[in-house]
Amino acid sequence: MTDPSGRVVVVTGGSRGLGAGIVQSYLDSGDRVATCARTRTDQVDKWANDPALEGRFLFREVDLANREQSTDFVKDVIGAWDVIDILVNNAGVARDGILSLASDDDIDIVIDLNLKGTLHMCRVVGRRMLSRGSGSIVNISSIVGLSGYRGLAVYSSTKAAMDGMTRALARELGSRGITVNSVAPGYLRTEMSHGLDEGQLQQIIRRTPAGRLGEPSDIARIVQFLTAPENDYITGQVIVADGGLTA
Amino acid sequence: MENTTSKAGEVLDRFLARADKVAPYDRDTSLYAEGLGLDSLETAELSSMLEDDLGTDPFSVGIMAQTVGELLDFYEA
Repeated sequence: MTDPSGRVVVVTGGSRGLGAGIVQSYLDSGDRVATCARTRTDQVDKWANDPALEGRFLFREVDLANREQSTDFVKDVIGAWDVIDILVNNAGVARDGILSLASDDDIDIVIDLNLKGTLHMCRVVGRRMLSRGSGSIVNISSIVGLSGYRGLAVYSSTKAAMDGMTRALARELGSRGITVNSVAPGYLRTEMSHGLDEGQLQQIIRRTPAGRLGEPSDIARIVQFLTAPENDYITGQVIVADGGLTA
Repeated sequence: MENTTSKAGEVLDRFLARADKVAPYDRDTSLYAEGLGLDSLETAELSSMLEDDLGTDPFSVGIMAQTVGELLDFYEA
């Protein structure tokens, strides 16, 4: 593993919300961070134009459901920094609605990005990690993959599958110094919770022992913990961070 | 192309040393079983190392080389 002060971190879907929180966390810890999203945001421009981050931040507009684009993104990162120490698969999309009313497109869009896109990134980046004999992968899952949620059958399916992927890859790659874990957040105060109305959010807060929604920084700290070189005895786990909602 | 082939041989030697599988071999030696004895994960490692150093490798393009010679021949093509 390279020096923690200069690790190369890839965070998918890091332009906003939880992903942006994870990107910020690794930039704050002095690492080099590459991220991608379908569109640039003001936050991306802010990082890209910050002189203090020169040579430590890379962004590409990528649709991760497109294998060619995501492969090119990884090649760009390798071209810039030679290695990838950490992969955080954060990019995801949700289409809420009763499954009986969902279109084929609704199903395909969610599975193509959340599941197939994540598998592809694990394969491409995992090969680089295999070649070096070290690395950490964290998949951002969700408590709905464990508990389910009305109206999120497809999204829940992808997150449950992602947790299975995490366990399988941990077994597959563990002997080569590569850890693979999932973090399953509860309800966060991000764009992903905007589909919930105020009544639903208040109900979630009432049922959450911690008495609040989660913040991206709550999750970023766990991702940092799982990818710290000294914590390489933890692999194949799904760490639930939901303020006790599913306890 | 000979340079590429010899570089592939160097990568194979480096991989075998890292995998603690140093043993005499020739072009007819099987990569698997009673030959070099690679399992599926070791094959993936070798594939990744070859791609890293040479930009391509036979396994990634669907060619399942069975012997050392078949592996090296990929880079002569």
